[in-house]
Amino acid sequence: MQRALLSAAAGWLLCAALAHAHHSFAAVFDAAQPVAVTGTIVRVEWANPHIWFYVEVAEPDGAVTEWGFSAAPPGVLMRRGITKDVLEIGSVVNVEGFRARDGSNNASGGRVTFSDGRNVFTASAEDATSGSGNR
Amino acid sequence: MKRGLFHSLLGLCAAACMFCSSASGQPQAHAWETPRTPNRKPDFSGFWSQPRHTEPRGGGATTFTKERMPPFVSGGEELFYKPRTGDPFLDEPRAFCMPSGWPSAFFGPYPVQIVQTDEWLVMVTEFERATRLIPLDGRAHREGIEPTYYGDSVGHWEGDTLVIDSRNFKRWTLDDYYYVNPDEYRMHSDAFRTIERLRRVDESTLSYEFTVEDPKIFTEPWTEELHMTFHPEWEETGLYEFVCQENNRCPGGDCSAR
Repeated sequence: MQRALLSAAAGWLLCAALAHAHHSFAAVFDAAQPVAVTGTIVRVEWANPHIWFYVEVAEPDGAVTEWGFSAAPPGVLMRRGITKDVLEIGSVVNVEGFRARDGSNNASGGRVTFSDGRNVFTASAEDATSGSGNR
Repeated sequence: MKRGLFHSLLGLCAAACMFCSSASGQPQAHAWETPRTPNRKPDFSGFWSQPRHTEPRGGGATTFTKERMPPFVSGGEELFYKPRTGDPFLDEPRAFCMPSGWPSAFFGPYPVQIVQTDEWLVMVTEFERATRLIPLDGRAHREGIEPTYYGDSVGHWEGDTLVIDSRNFKRWTLDDYYYVNPDEYRMHSDAFRTIERLRRVDESTLSYEFTVEDPKIFTEPWTEELHMTFHPEWEETGLYEFVCQENNRCPGGDCSAR
C-alpha cells in the first residue's frame, strides 16, 4: 500500500505536477549549489508554509551534522499522496536539494530516496528543476 | 525492477493524461446541463483549480500577459514596477507571511472552494486560507472603508454569467511574475479594479474572464481569458489548513531567523 502511494507520488513528479512554495525559492536557496546528503531522519515539522525535515549526517571524522530541508506545504504533499508517515523518523535517506544562500546547513529538499530505492519528491517541482520557484 | 517501475509510472502518467484530455472541454457523448441552485441560478459550488490560461504555461502561479496590457499612462510604468531596495521585507513582504492579496493569492496553484447561496458567493483558496465573501443581493460597494488587500466585491447575475466587481484595494503586488523575472515586481495602484465574469461552459470548466482596470497605471482596461477546472475528487479531503506564520523559516533568506 505504501509502495503504491510512493509510486503514485513519483508519478506525479514525472507528470510535472504543480506545487507552489510560499516564498521565493531563489531568495533563500541557491540553484547553483546542489547538495545531496545521506543520513537519518531525526525530526519532521509538518507545518505551513513549508514542511521541514531534519537529517543527521555522520561525517568522516565521526562528527554528526544536522541538515534541515524545506519542502512543499503539507496540503500539497498530502494531495500528492505523501503523508507525514512517509518521512518516518529513523529512516535512512538520501536527500537531494539546493543549499541555503546564507551558507547554513539548510536546503530545499527535493528527491528523498530511501535505503530500499523507493523515492518521493517533496518539493515544489519548479524549485528543484529550474531553481526559480514560486513564493 | 527499475525498468518495471519506470514503465508503471509511465502508465500512470498516460492514465492521468487521458483523464485530463477527457475533461478538457471536448463535446461529451451525453448531454450536459448547467447545474442549478433551487432558485435556478447556475451552481458554481465545489472545488476548482486556480484560474489558468487556456494554453498551459507551466507550473506555478497564473500571471498576467504583458502583451495584453495596454500602454502606460504618464508615470504608470514607475508605479507598475516596484524597484528593489535590498531589504527583503520591503522587496517581498509575502515571504514574511504578509497577505498575497487579490488576485495573487487566488492565482497560485492551490484548490479554490466555492460555496454559494442565493445571497452570497464565497471563494476560499487553500493558500493562506484567503477568503472572498461576495454579496449577490444587489447591494452597492461599501463606502468609507480604507483600502484593503482583498478589496470590496459585489456580484450580480447577467443571465447565466456571474459578474463580480471588486475595488478599493491598497497598492499591493499584482501577480507573481517576479518569480519568472526577478527584475519585474509588478504592482497595482490604489485605483485598481477588477471585473470577473464566471460562466459554466461544460461539465468541468468554468470560463473565467478577468478584466483589469488601473487608470493610474494603464491607459485602458484589459482582459485575460482564463478558466477554472472542476475537481470533484478534492471534495473528499477538502481544503487543508495553511497558517503561514506557523513555521516560516528562512524568511527573506535568513535561516537563523524564526
